Parts: sequence; C-alpha cells; structure tokens
Amino acid sequence: MATTKASNHTPLYEFHRTHGKIVDFAGYDMPIWYTSTMEEHMAVRNRAGIFDVSHMGRLDVTGPDAARFIESLFPTGIGKQPSGKSVYTLLLNENAGIVDDLIVLKVDEGKYLLVVNAASKEKDLRHMERVGAGLNFKIDDITDATTMIAVQGPSALEALQPLTPLPLADMKRFTHAFSTVKGIRAVITRTGYTGEDGFEIIVHDAASGAMAVWEALMKGATPCALGSRDSLRLEAGLPLYGSDMDETTNPLEADLGWVISKDKKSYVGWQRLASLMQQGPARIRRGIVMDERIPRRDFKVTDKAGEEIGVVTSGTFSPVLKRGIAMGYIKTPSPQLGETVEVVVRDAPSKGKIAKLPFYDDSLFGWKRKPHQQ
Amino acid sequence: MSNPSPYQVPDGLFYTKEHEWARVTGGTAKVGITDYAAKTLNDIVYLTLPSAGKEVKQLSSFGTVESIKAVSELYAPLSGTVTGTNQELTSHPELINQSPYEAGWIIELKPSMLEEERKTLLSPRQYEEFLKSLDAEHQN
Repeated sequence: MATTKASNHTPLYEFHRTHGKIVDFAGYDMPIWYTSTMEEHMAVRNRAGIFDVSHMGRLDVTGPDAARFIESLFPTGIGKQPSGKSVYTLLLNENAGIVDDLIVLKVDEGKYLLVVNAASKEKDLRHMERVGAGLNFKIDDITDATTMIAVQGPSALEALQPLTPLPLADMKRFTHAFSTVKGIRAVITRTGYTGEDGFEIIVHDAASGAMAVWEALMKGATPCALGSRDSLRLEAGLPLYGSDMDETTNPLEADLGWVISKDKKSYVGWQRLASLMQQGPARIRRGIVMDERIPRRDFKVTDKAGEEIGVVTSGTFSPVLKRGIAMGYIKTPSPQLGETVEVVVRDAPSKGKIAKLPFYDDSLFGWKRKPHQQ
Repeated sequence: MSNPSPYQVPDGLFYTKEHEWARVTGGTAKVGITDYAAKTLNDIVYLTLPSAGKEVKQLSSFGTVESIKAVSELYAPLSGTVTGTNQELTSHPELINQSPYEAGWIIELKPSMLEEERKTLLSPRQYEEFLKSLDAEHQN
C-alpha cells in the first residue's frame, strides 16, 4: 500500500478544521468553504472577507546583485519603480512561456519580497537559481515563518484599520508598507485577487499570534475559503495559473501584454517575446458570459456557425450576474465584445457572448465602484 | 447503539447509492437528491432537467445539478415517464439545500416497472448503512 506525504497545514489550520470543509490544495489541507461559497463570495462583494493565503510561497531576495537579478527575471521594469511598490509580473522561460505569475514587493534596491503560487514555489526556485547562476544574491524562503491573510471588499479598510497604526487610507493600490498588525511585525500590501479594494498582510508569526490576528479580523470581515476565492477572481477576470495559463502560454495570448516593459531587453524570454509581438498571438484569452448553462474547463467554444474556435480554461456560476461565466482561449482574430459564441455543454451547444473583464459592472462592484449615495 | 447520522434520511422513501430518493404515492413517484448529496454539493445554483414526456431508465442520467464549482449527474431511481419538474427550482435552486425531501423535489414520474425495480432500491436503514460505509472510507 503506497504511503502518501502528510499534508501541510498553515498556522490557521485549527480554525479551518473546526469551521470549514477541508480539501487538498497544493499539498495543504485547506477549506473549500466555511458556510457556503455563495455567502462568502457575496460577503466580499458587499462588505469584507478574509482569506488564509499562507500556503502561497513568500521569498525574500537580497544581496549585492539583487536588483540586477530581479531585473533579469521579469519582463516588467522593476528597476525603475520606486521602493514601496508591489508589482504584478510573470516569470517566463526562454520560450516566453509563463512559469508563474506573482507579486514582487520592491522593499528597496537591495531587497525584494516575492509572493508566488503555492504549487509553483519549488519550480520557481529552481528557475530563479538557474537564471541567477553567477550572481551574488540570496533567496530566503520565509513561507513557514509567516502567515498571510487577504482582507478584501469595500469594507476591508474598516476591518483592518483597528489592528494597525498604519494609516491605510493613505496607501495607494499596488504599494506596500512595513508596520505591525496586532503588535506583530507585518508587511501590508494594497493588492488582492478579488477585484475589490483590499489588503494582503504578511505577519511574522506562524503560531498563536496569527490566530489572534485572524480572530480580530473576524469582527469586521467574514472568513472566506477556496471556493469563493476562485469564483471572485474569475468574476473579476483574473487568470489562475495552472488553469488559464501554464508554461505553454505566452503573455500576449494570456492578454497580459501590459506587464511587458517596452524598453527592457535581456530578461529571460525577451527574444522569443519580441518575435511574438511582431507576429501577434495565434489565440487570445477572452471572457464569455452564458445565456443559460454553466461553462466548465475543457468545454469547446464554437462560433455561430458551429466551427470550433477555442476552449474554456475556467468556468463557474457568477453570483453577481447569476449566470455562467468563463475564461478561455479563442483563436485570433477572435469575435468582438458582445458577439455570440457557443459553448458545447455536454454535447449541446449553448449560447453565450464575448464579455468584457471584469464581468460585473465596475461602477457597482470592484475597487472602482462609485461610493454609495447616503 | 450506533451514532446518529449527521444526514437526514426520512422514512417512507426509497434510496439509491447515487444519493437519489423516490417517494411513491399511488401511481406516481416524486424524485430528488438526499440531504447527504445536497450538503456535499453545498450551494446548488443550476439544474438541467428533462421535459415532461421524456422516458427515463433506472440508473441512467436524466439531468444535472450544479454548484458553483461542481456538476453532478442525476440518476433515475426508477424507469418511467417524466410527468413534471419542480418549476420553483428555476429561480430558487437553493430549495434543494433548504428542503431536499419536500420543497426541493426535482422531478415527478410515472413508474413503468415499479414492482420489479423497487426491490433493487435501498430502504432508509440500508441507505444509512451505506452512508456510514462512505464515511468510514473517508476516515482512512
């Protein structure tokens, strides 16, 4: 009988075990819901939710060559960003294929904190070590020594402010700062994976301090688990590594061309990317909203004439739109926004339309929403 | 004395290992999914159901029930002709989560082979034993 590796637990596992339905996620025992994905999803859209994201990899990069190393790894111009920025970027291979998507917190010219996908961490480390061979830098994996919690929603600021002296209202999106949360040393970054305003906090405590932070946050935010994390990011049009992109996907077809710096050369993959930019992508990531039925991963996409034009890579039911929504890859030239496509659901074509991302009306939902008229 | 099951398993119904139930009254059967199935799916958001008049065969799929993340097949506990579907579920699929055995019924059918097929279905006690065996499997 084969023995399986014991699952990893985050510092908040006891809460998950006693309050949630546990599943395996990237080798961690994580909750898929506490009450219901629907309730948790709408709690984030209407108020605030908290997510344990401690399973994500957190890597400190330091050393005399740190800046040079970072610049060589990513297509985004991180060198010219000021300290205090949090930069969404992609790790690329020589073929311009996406190895991972991540956030780089530029602490200063010599220090960077990378937040990577849990399932990609080991692969990312090997890639980074290979690319950086000969340079003088150090990577410290601080994942197990820290706890990371995402606080997301229109009331995220109100939920987090009582716990920290940092004036959160002064923080711009995609910046970070060092402070404390419930007296514990922490990094706070105004980033997230839900489309809403919010903060992600990295607390330098992997024990009872972490649980105290979680419980204090529960006063202003609803605990939310993996199910709602996925439905929220998909509704916001945010791609998921492993589903909507992998090493066979390049940034142009993933519709992430905006991360590519126009003036950088000599990062991994830049030559292949330059020639791809000449040709244009052969397929492109698009959103689809269904009239009826729920699209699921691997369902084929056809045009009105029934010709196959693409495939679904992520699909779900949108609690806000109350319809099926999907992201997928459509061959170029793709149908325009609003044009009809069909998704083959269990052998029957079902009508939908190419939709803008995010899927929701961003004057009503998301970080751009207009404030309530009181 | 065995531990009480965390799942409701009402008397007076037939059950299947695919977690459907059938309530036979006179010549018709109401069909739905069990509390166990509803709790496993959690938020039910969508169903695809057959039209009235469709013939269904015991143990073959007659539709689907979906949560935000997952799709489950619905298997007919009995062969017969579909005489109706629960229209409330179009706008309130969550009725299945709230009341899987009453307001959340899914289809109604006229059984064609009731006498033979009822013998193959599980009694409430047999279904409870089946649930316990699944639970034991998950513990290991």
